[in-house]
Amino acid sequence: MAGLPRRIIKETQRLQADPVPGISAIPDEANARHFKVEVAGPVKSPYEGGTFHLELFLPEEYPMSAPKVRFMTRIYHPNIDKLGRICLDILKDKWSPALQIRTVLLSIQALLSAPNPDDPLDTNVAEAWKKDEESAIEEARQFTRQHAMGNKPQQ
Amino acid sequence: MSQTDMKRQLSDPASDATDSEDMEEDDEYANYYYDNTDDLDIDKPKKTDDPEYFEYTILQTEDAERLLNEEVERLCSELKMSPSLAKMLLHVGQWQGEDIIERYQQDQRKLLTESNVSCPKEMKEDSLVGSSPGCPVCAECYPRDKFMGLTCGHLFCPHCWDMHFRFQIEQGITMGIECMGQKCKILVPEDFLYSVLKDSKLRDRFSKLCFMDLIKGHPKLRFCPGPNCSVIIHAKEPRAKKVECSVCKSTFCFRCGIEYHAPTDCDVIKKWLTKCADDSETANYISAHTKDCPSCHVCIEKSAGCNHMQCSKCKFDFCWMCLGDWKSHGSEYYECSRYKENPNIANESVLVQAREALKKYLFYFERWENHAKSLQLEEQTLQKITSRINVKVMENEGTWIDWQYLQNAAALLKKCRYTLQYTYPYAYYMDKGGRKQLFEYQQAQLEAEVENLSWKVERAEITHRGDLENQMDIAEKRRQTLLKDFLEV
Repeated sequence: MAGLPRRIIKETQRLQADPVPGISAIPDEANARHFKVEVAGPVKSPYEGGTFHLELFLPEEYPMSAPKVRFMTRIYHPNIDKLGRICLDILKDKWSPALQIRTVLLSIQALLSAPNPDDPLDTNVAEAWKKDEESAIEEARQFTRQHAMGNKPQQ
Repeated sequence: MSQTDMKRQLSDPASDATDSEDMEEDDEYANYYYDNTDDLDIDKPKKTDDPEYFEYTILQTEDAERLLNEEVERLCSELKMSPSLAKMLLHVGQWQGEDIIERYQQDQRKLLTESNVSCPKEMKEDSLVGSSPGCPVCAECYPRDKFMGLTCGHLFCPHCWDMHFRFQIEQGITMGIECMGQKCKILVPEDFLYSVLKDSKLRDRFSKLCFMDLIKGHPKLRFCPGPNCSVIIHAKEPRAKKVECSVCKSTFCFRCGIEYHAPTDCDVIKKWLTKCADDSETANYISAHTKDCPSCHVCIEKSAGCNHMQCSKCKFDFCWMCLGDWKSHGSEYYECSRYKENPNIANESVLVQAREALKKYLFYFERWENHAKSLQLEEQTLQKITSRINVKVMENEGTWIDWQYLQNAAALLKKCRYTLQYTYPYAYYMDKGGRKQLFEYQQAQLEAEVENLSWKVERAEITHRGDLENQMDIAEKRRQTLLKDFLEV
C-alpha cells in the first residue's frame, strides 16, 4: 500500500514471519493499518481454551500515538468492558513510540493472565472479582465457553 | 496623640519610656505613622492586625517572564548549569530554589535522577546496532552520528524526535515531554527540543504553552481568572487570601482562584459549592412540595392549597405549616415555620435522619442564598445613593467629599455581608461543640450589625452621619473579630 510508513511495513512483516506464540495479527486487505487479531486464552487462566478476536487500528500519528485496540469477543474481565474497550496503561498515558504492535498484544495477553481489579474499567466485574474471586473466575470460564469457543471472527 | 507629640517623643524616646515594652510600642507608632506617607491610610488598620491583609502585585506577561528568568538565572549561576536544565529543575521542584540548591549540593545525582532530569550512568543503554542502524521508531536507517538522545541513552533519528515533539505540543504538553524510550521518564529540556524543532509556528506555540505551564506550576504566581484578563498575580506567600485584579476588577482567592470565601477555607467551599450545585434542585423541590407526616413519617406531597392535611396512610389530621395536630388550630395560625433541631436524631429512622440532614442543609443554604440576594439588592442601593449624591451636589447641598461617607458605608456593608454569606458554609461543616457555639455567637453578632447597617444605609437621609459611621465601625469590628478567631492563616 502506497504511503505506508516503513515502520508499519516492517512490523507487519515481522508479525507474520515471526509470530508471537498464541497471537496472530493479520492486516486487512483493504486497509493495511487495520489488523484482525486473534489471542488464545492463556493457559491456567479462566480464558484457557477460548479464542478472542480483537481489532487493532494504527492511527495516522502512529507510532507517536498508541494503536487503538478493542475486544470483539465478549469477555468477563475487570479491565475490559462490555464494548470490548481495554484499560491498559500503555494504550493511554504510558504509550511510548518505542513500543510496537507486538508488545501491545503481549501486554493484552498478560492482562488476561493477571486481571487487575484494583484499576477497573467495568466496576461491576471488578467488585465481583474482589468480593469472591472464585465465583468470578467461574463466571469468566462460563463466558469463555459461551462466547470464545467455536466462534468465528465478527465483521 | 498629635504629630508634634510624636516628634517630641521620637527625638528622645527614652525620656518617657520606662521599660522596653513602652519602647517597642513607641517604635510601632513611629513606624505606623512614618511609613504611611499617604494621609488617607492613617485610619486603616495596621497590616499585622488585619486578618485579611495580603501582599501581592499585578504583573504583566513580560514582568512575569522576567521574574521567572531571574529565578532561573540565579539557579544557573549558583549551580553552574544550563538555563534549560535549571528551568526544568525549578519546575519539577515547584520553584523552591533554596531547597533545590541544598539538595543539589548534598547529592547532585540523586536530585537529578529524582527530578527525572538525567539518568544514572549504569542505566545508560545504547539501543543501536551496526554502523548504519535503523531508528527504533520509524525503522529507517541512518548513519550512527545522526541519532540523538538524552542522558538515558535512548537514541532516535531527528525526524522521529520532531514528530514526537509535534504530537506532544499538539496535546498541550510542554514541560512534561518525556523521552520516547519504553518506560523512560526522562524529561526533555527545552534546548534539546529547540535543537530539533525547526517549525517556527510550533516553536512559538511551545514557548507560549511552556510559559503557561511554568506560571501554573509556580506557587506564588497565578493567572487572573477574570474573563479575557491576561495579568498574573504575584503573591509574597501562596495563601488563601483575597486578591483584587487592578485590571479587570475581579476578586478571587489566591490559592484556589474561585471567589473569595473567608472564613471558609478552599476545600470546604469547594465541597459546599458542589453540594449546592448537586442538591439544590432536588432539595428545593422536596422542601417546597413535600413533608413527612408528623405521625407516621410517610413523605407527603402537597398538591392543593389547603393547609389542613390528612395523611392518606394513617389518617392523621395536621397543619402543613407547623406540622402540629390540626385540633389545636382554630381559624388562626401560630408562628408555624421555625427551624428546630431534633435532639433525638440518632434514634430516629433513616428516613427521618435523611429528612433532618436535608433540613439542616436547607437551613444553611437558604441563608447563604438570601445573603447573596441581599448583596445584589444592596448593589442597587449603592447605585441609588450615588445618583442621590449627584443630585445633592448639583443643588449645592454639600460637596462630593461631604457625601463620600455614604458611599463608604455602602461599600463596607457589601464587604461585611459578603463575609457573612461565607460564614454559612463554614458553620454547616463545623462539628458540634464549644467552638461552633462561639462561631455561631459571633456570626449572630455580625448578622445583627450587618442588618443594622443595612437599615441605616437604606435610610441614609434620615440617619445622622455620626450614627452611621458608628454603625460602620461596629459592623467592621464584628467582622474582624470573627475573622481573627476563625480565618485560618
